[in-house]
Amino acid sequence: MIESLKQQYNIEQKESRLFKLIIKKEEFLKTLSFISSSSNFITLSQIACADWIEDEIFKLNYILTTKERDKNLMIELEIPREESKLPTLLNFFPQAEVMERDLHEMYGIEFIGNPTLYDFALENWKEIPPMRREFDTLAYVNEHFDFRKGREDNRDVKVEIKRRRAEAKRLKNANK
Amino acid sequence: MQEGFIDYQKVLNNEEHAIKSTQSVIQKAVDWFRSKSMFVLAYGTGCGAIEMPPTFTSRYDIERLGVVGVATPRQADILIVSGYCSYKTLKRVIRSYEQMNEPKFIIALGSCTINGGMYWDSYNTIKRLEDYIPVDMFVNGCMPRPEALIEGFVKLQDNIKNAKKEAGYIKYRENNEFYKANQKKIFGDNIEPSYEANFEGMNR
Ligand code: SF4
Repeated sequence: MIESLKQQYNIEQKESRLFKLIIKKEEFLKTLSFISSSSNFITLSQIACADWIEDEIFKLNYILTTKERDKNLMIELEIPREESKLPTLLNFFPQAEVMERDLHEMYGIEFIGNPTLYDFALENWKEIPPMRREFDTLAYVNEHFDFRKGREDNRDVKVEIKRRRAEAKRLKNANK
Repeated sequence: MQEGFIDYQKVLNNEEHAIKSTQSVIQKAVDWFRSKSMFVLAYGTGCGAIEMPPTFTSRYDIERLGVVGVATPRQADILIVSGYCSYKTLKRVIRSYEQMNEPKFIIALGSCTINGGMYWDSYNTIKRLEDYIPVDMFVNGCMPRPEALIEGFVKLQDNIKNAKKEAGYIKYRENNEFYKANQKKIFGDNIEPSYEANFEGMNR
């Protein structure tokens, strides 16, 4: 099956069971619909996203698996961070629903045509999506929570362990 | 006890810190019975929930101490918050807690409920559980072994039996504004359904 796809696309073999195809954003729907209808890559097992803030892009990896579960195909594409929009894959891979919902919540990517893009794991989240790299987790935590003060007699663990080891050694030598 | 470390449980349970109990004989008997039958809500948050099945089944068999699991909050006396709470979970925890009948107690399991544990810088887990609901017993560790949980239960039984500490549900009733304000801080106006409990006229 992969051979017939190889004639059409520039597919690169990464490992014995892993193949990779890099496409442009414009070809996205056409490619995916072709692959889903005319090959045995019938399962969408994952959509992975990475935030490349320096290049102002999101890199998305759609990972497809064959019916026999013996080959994986990664389809990589880039979308701009601002105006991050993509058409939904619901028509070809129904299992994309949850993954797209998750990506929408964590990265703010809009999947046009997916009707379930409301709260998922985070409820009433008002800030910028937390997996975007401009979101400052530490500042958010400091703003929203108080931390418990340490005990008065707390000590640096490493220093304390060293001190105890030295103490034990001293005692051992003294007993000799 | 190794030198330099304070046994905090001991300090907390110290007589000085205890409320001066004025237990009548009947109250004493009631408290004794109460400590011998603890019904635990079968509910787990976070990874600590893994330690609860062995605690309740034949390996550690906590039923010999009178601790039994029940299915609904209406029948439960004890809520074990067994680990980190995300906002979403905390909302459910609070709701379950408010549905439980008094007297009710909370055991908080794991470092995550004490100071955030390894999720101290996470954007959607709470750091200190007792800001939002009153905790009667902390069991620390990541994760605590079933033995530690059993010890927590025994200590809690002791507290109940001898009226050593003010119970959490009384704190929750009397400082309700404090807890509600804290909950509001993270949920906004989305505590649903909003319980406007009227505790006036209730006696202890
Ligand atoms: S204290 Fe450790 S084991 Fe318990 S919930 Fe937190 S991370 Fe998990």
